[in-house]
Amino acid sequence: MSNIEKVFKNLKKDNKKALITYSVAGDPDLESSEKIIRNFILEGVDIIEVGVPFSDPMAEGPSIQLGHERALKNKISLLDIMQMCLKIKNDHPNTPLVLMGYMNNFLSLKENLFDELKKNKIDGLIIVDLPYVESNEFLKKLNDKDIDLIRLISPTTTKERIDKILASSSGYLYYISLKGVTGSELKISDELENRVLEIKKQTKLPIVVGFGIKDAKTAKKMSLCSDGVVVGSKLVDEIGSFNPNKENILNQNLTSIISELKEGIS
Amino acid sequence: MSKENYDFPDKDGRFGEFGGKYVSETLISALDELECTYEEVKKDKSFLAEVKNDLETFVGRPSPLYFAQRWTENLGGAKIYLKREDLNHTGAHKINNTVGQVLLAKKMGKKRIIAETGAGQHGVATAAVAARHGLECIIFMGDEDIERQSPNVYRMKLLGATVCSVNSGTKTLKDAMNEAMRDWVTNVDDTHYIIGSVAGPHPYPQIVRDFNSIVGIELKDQSRGLFGRYPDKIIACVGGGSNAMGIFYPFLKDNSVDLIGVEAGGSGVDSGMHAAPLSDGSIGVLHGMKTYLMQDQEGQILSTHSVSAGLDYPGVGPEHSYLRDSGRVVYEAATDEEALDSFHDLTKTEGIMPALETAHALAYAKKIAPDLDKEEILVVNLSGRGDKDMANVAKVEGLTL
Ligand SMILES: Cc1ncc(COP(=O)(O)O)c(C=O)c1O
Repeated sequence: MSNIEKVFKNLKKDNKKALITYSVAGDPDLESSEKIIRNFILEGVDIIEVGVPFSDPMAEGPSIQLGHERALKNKISLLDIMQMCLKIKNDHPNTPLVLMGYMNNFLSLKENLFDELKKNKIDGLIIVDLPYVESNEFLKKLNDKDIDLIRLISPTTTKERIDKILASSSGYLYYISLKGVTGSELKISDELENRVLEIKKQTKLPIVVGFGIKDAKTAKKMSLCSDGVVVGSKLVDEIGSFNPNKENILNQNLTSIISELKEGIS
Repeated sequence: MSKENYDFPDKDGRFGEFGGKYVSETLISALDELECTYEEVKKDKSFLAEVKNDLETFVGRPSPLYFAQRWTENLGGAKIYLKREDLNHTGAHKINNTVGQVLLAKKMGKKRIIAETGAGQHGVATAAVAARHGLECIIFMGDEDIERQSPNVYRMKLLGATVCSVNSGTKTLKDAMNEAMRDWVTNVDDTHYIIGSVAGPHPYPQIVRDFNSIVGIELKDQSRGLFGRYPDKIIACVGGGSNAMGIFYPFLKDNSVDLIGVEAGGSGVDSGMHAAPLSDGSIGVLHGMKTYLMQDQEGQILSTHSVSAGLDYPGVGPEHSYLRDSGRVVYEAATDEEALDSFHDLTKTEGIMPALETAHALAYAKKIAPDLDKEEILVVNLSGRGDKDMANVAKVEGLTL
């Protein structure tokens, strides 16, 4: 059983929902982003999405765009990021680490990508601009290494298409809560909740909801109809206020955001 | 290679290994809708008649094929002809595409039009058709381009469009395209995104090529009439590649016709300061397509440099990547300096002021024409007029207007 499966199985046993964080590797710098992730794990975050910074992050709103820009100033490579993940995995082998980014950065490692992912104990990939039609070859190579390709489903995905996506999915499903970029304002509606419940009927895979979840109330609402929530922009905004002389303050603020969200969804 | 077995894009939107649909899941349904609608209207006689009528009465087609006699004599070699897309309404080839796409948008019931623009020519061409059809229009344009193409910014505003300045990334065309994609994902239900070149996810490269093919189709007729044969060489500048694809596509199976695309060489292809991915790039994925890109080892997109805003783009349409690798089209580059030189040449000897983008194609014609036989016929796609560039040329040359 994969790490990701185990996490959801254990949560289910305790009747709990997953809290998933997204932060950008290298933001504000590689070392600090590692500390931030370690702190998330200590605070009880269930799955970590590690953002791979890209020069052209088309699906991101202003907060996460700035996070990518800050990280790129540090000229870190995808291999640096994977090595950071391995260090974290050595101390926290059971917490799944999932790389989330854009196709062009993953392509840059060519055929080495798959071995490096395995070697650095990466549990899964989310590739924002790789819809399933384009992904066959890539998927095979990932699955050969037991690495999950986490699929995204959006408010505009048709039912027939969801069936096709599900047929080649593993790990969990990421439901994009809204039509828009990351960090947009999320309006909770019956329609949204019903849609998640509908998709749940189509699959045994866990389904998590992301985009626009910034407070405990929204997190709670969304966790009730799903298996977990992803929070990103809220954290990346906070990280944007990083002051190297006041590292503790950032960690305290992040900790309080996390504990508030955890309370919301438990 | 003959066009009998040239049938691209394939059903997955690929030109060989290039192209595809690398976009976020939310946009897939919009692309599917566009593809279906396009397949339908392609066979719809009344739709095609409407496009034809608009091209004739709104755009002013056909555009003339003009003999640049004095320039030819000065260069002393091949006969140079110009396909006068600069005479189109709004001053460039870009309107051939927007006239068709706005009708597609109406067919799909979309009320809101968005577009990216670099030189502002596509923005103006989009704003014009949106005004004519009474649709809301938002144009995304990089801060740097807003500055160097200011006359076009005002034209768009006069035409009723909202111009959104984009100051992320390199503040040029690629960033305007990112921002347009972000808007589209947010307003996907009521918005049609009119991409301005043969770039982006399938079906855009195909749609934009097809609407621009009128240029090559006319050239075939005109050259049969004027010369009794096809030209020996056709030259076009390549940014995203729409004016080039439009004039090349109808000639792909005519192997006697050399097709030459000219990219922006900036300060020189060896300097790294350029926008010539086909001359000095590598394969990657950006803006929904697999194609040649200017990128570093990590897959980060590099900032590009060109004196012309419309060529200042790190990618290129996927069909050009295919045609490069297959060898059917040859791609060259012209530097800023060579382009400026030809800009002045054509203006002074022919009384035609070309766009700086177009001047890159002219620069290559100037380079090769003197060594060619006097009987050879060389056609340059004069993709646009240069009024928009006057302030920028003055600035580059240290003058103020
Ligand atoms: C006059 C003119 N020619 C050429 C181009 C480059 O675009 P493409 O390569 O798609 O023809 C532009 C783009 O703005 C333009 O305005």
